[in-house]
Amino acid sequence: MKSGEKKTLNQSDQNEFINSIQSSFKNTSYNFDTLKINVDISSWIDTHKILKKDFNLSFFNWLSAVDWDNEVKTGDAPKEPVTPSFEILSCLSQTNSNNLVISSTVISKENAEIESLVDVFAGANWHEREAYEMFGINFLNHPNLTKLYLPDDYEGNPLLKSFELISREVKPWPGDVDVEGMPEDSIVVEEKGS
Amino acid sequence: MSQTMDPNNMPFLSEASVSVEIETEDMTLNIGPQHPSTHGVLRLVAKVNGEKISSVEPVLGYMHRGYEKLAEVRTYPQVTTLVNRIDWVSGFANEIPFIAGAEKLMEIEVPERAQYIRLILTEMARISSHFVFNGAFPLEIGALTPIFLAMEDRERVLDLLESVTGGRFHPNFNRIGGVKPVAGAGPTTKKDIQDLPAGFYHDTKVAMEKVLKAVDTFEDLIGGNEVFQARTKKVGVLTKEVAEEYGVSGPILRASGVEFDLRKQSDYLPYDKFDFEIPIGENGDCFDRWSVRTSEMRESAKIILQAIEDMPSGPIQAKVPKVIKVPKGQTYVRAENPKGEMGYYIISEGGLGPYRLKIRTASFSNISILPIMLEGALLPDLIAIMGSLDFVLGDVDR
Repeated sequence: MKSGEKKTLNQSDQNEFINSIQSSFKNTSYNFDTLKINVDISSWIDTHKILKKDFNLSFFNWLSAVDWDNEVKTGDAPKEPVTPSFEILSCLSQTNSNNLVISSTVISKENAEIESLVDVFAGANWHEREAYEMFGINFLNHPNLTKLYLPDDYEGNPLLKSFELISREVKPWPGDVDVEGMPEDSIVVEEKGS
Repeated sequence: MSQTMDPNNMPFLSEASVSVEIETEDMTLNIGPQHPSTHGVLRLVAKVNGEKISSVEPVLGYMHRGYEKLAEVRTYPQVTTLVNRIDWVSGFANEIPFIAGAEKLMEIEVPERAQYIRLILTEMARISSHFVFNGAFPLEIGALTPIFLAMEDRERVLDLLESVTGGRFHPNFNRIGGVKPVAGAGPTTKKDIQDLPAGFYHDTKVAMEKVLKAVDTFEDLIGGNEVFQARTKKVGVLTKEVAEEYGVSGPILRASGVEFDLRKQSDYLPYDKFDFEIPIGENGDCFDRWSVRTSEMRESAKIILQAIEDMPSGPIQAKVPKVIKVPKGQTYVRAENPKGEMGYYIISEGGLGPYRLKIRTASFSNISILPIMLEGALLPDLIAIMGSLDFVLGDVDR
């Protein structure tokens, strides 16, 4: 079948790409079809330059951050203790295949600053402004590091795990009760397994 | 506009023009947040020199609802309700990458029939989104007729979506591992689960024939209109290098000549089983962006007609645990939505909800090129350029 052939071809191309990335970068992982490179903060810019030039990853998908913390005020804390830090994630891809790379670097919370990517990918501009207002991360040499969504006089960084979701404090989420304790026979899902 | 405004093409104008240099100065013009061409609440602060725009600064955040924060306090099935409301013109398509990401982390194999139903409804969402575009874009630049035709035809597609999911805009139809049994079917016996309403195949066939006809009409009525051509051709040209650097995706990227469509490249839904083409543009101007989207509607209708022909039978839901707990892991799943690439980076720590959910939306990146595209453009072209980008503020602000 035509479609079957195409798929295996894509697969071998993708494996080749993953191998080439893994041989060029030391700390990589490939889980759940997602290729991730962990780099040091000092080589953050250079990594993106190399990925753009040598690996043809010219499409800038997104940039964001994660707040790793054991004490959280919203949601659940990680099951295993983590070192409190910010993880910066960026996503680059190619425009002639499905190849995609997530780059990741870890910065400390006390000194939350990192070099801006705007010179390499101009599209990083708004993404970095979003990370700046949501996490309080300072992007050095950014042309216009101001708030993107939030009002100018807004205080706090909403996506921090220490930032309370006030509406949830005022009124507990009614959906909580639905998750467990449903009667057995009302679940259709269980019956239908193939 | 630039074509018709060129004084070289209008000898009578150049004769009449005076040779005195008039001193002008920049004026700041505030456009929006409430303006019909801003598709919601986008505000632009433009510096204009006469009719010419010297710089534009978009101001976002009027629709910011903080979905990434809200997702952290919700369980996985509850997040589906949220993501419906990101791009409300094609709510169904928003659910697909999130559900696919959760399924990937849980290593669930989705039954083929469920995948087909997802695919059909996603394409319907694409058609209805492009109908809105085909109505709104000409309306913004002065053509009143197409919106009435587009809304009537879109209603047929929305009726089909509603008959299956129960919702026109926010279907909330996908479940982790499959799709919801149709409304009213309820917990019946094992073999008697209805997943599609009676007469669905026939109605779909009729509606898709109408869509194909509507596309022909639009190509005549809009594309063949000289005024429309003058307003859109060679206006707002976007090169593929700039588009890639800013992460501009979807029909806008393809109009700039990049043949990239995740439906062909990725395997989040079984698109490889169908025969369809990827329309691409040559010049990357407003006209190409309109033409790519309109041709895409034809391809989507073709996909749906093929899909209902060889619809597999079988279950519509994989076996999933009663309480959805997603194991620890991280994944990024993206999909080709009507507006462009939409993806979710899910970080799961093994709990009932995601530890962090990064939502990559198409419109956010797509309008980040506005300052570049509008620099040096004429003020009337601003409306044409913004309209051709086809963004939705819910998709920009999340």
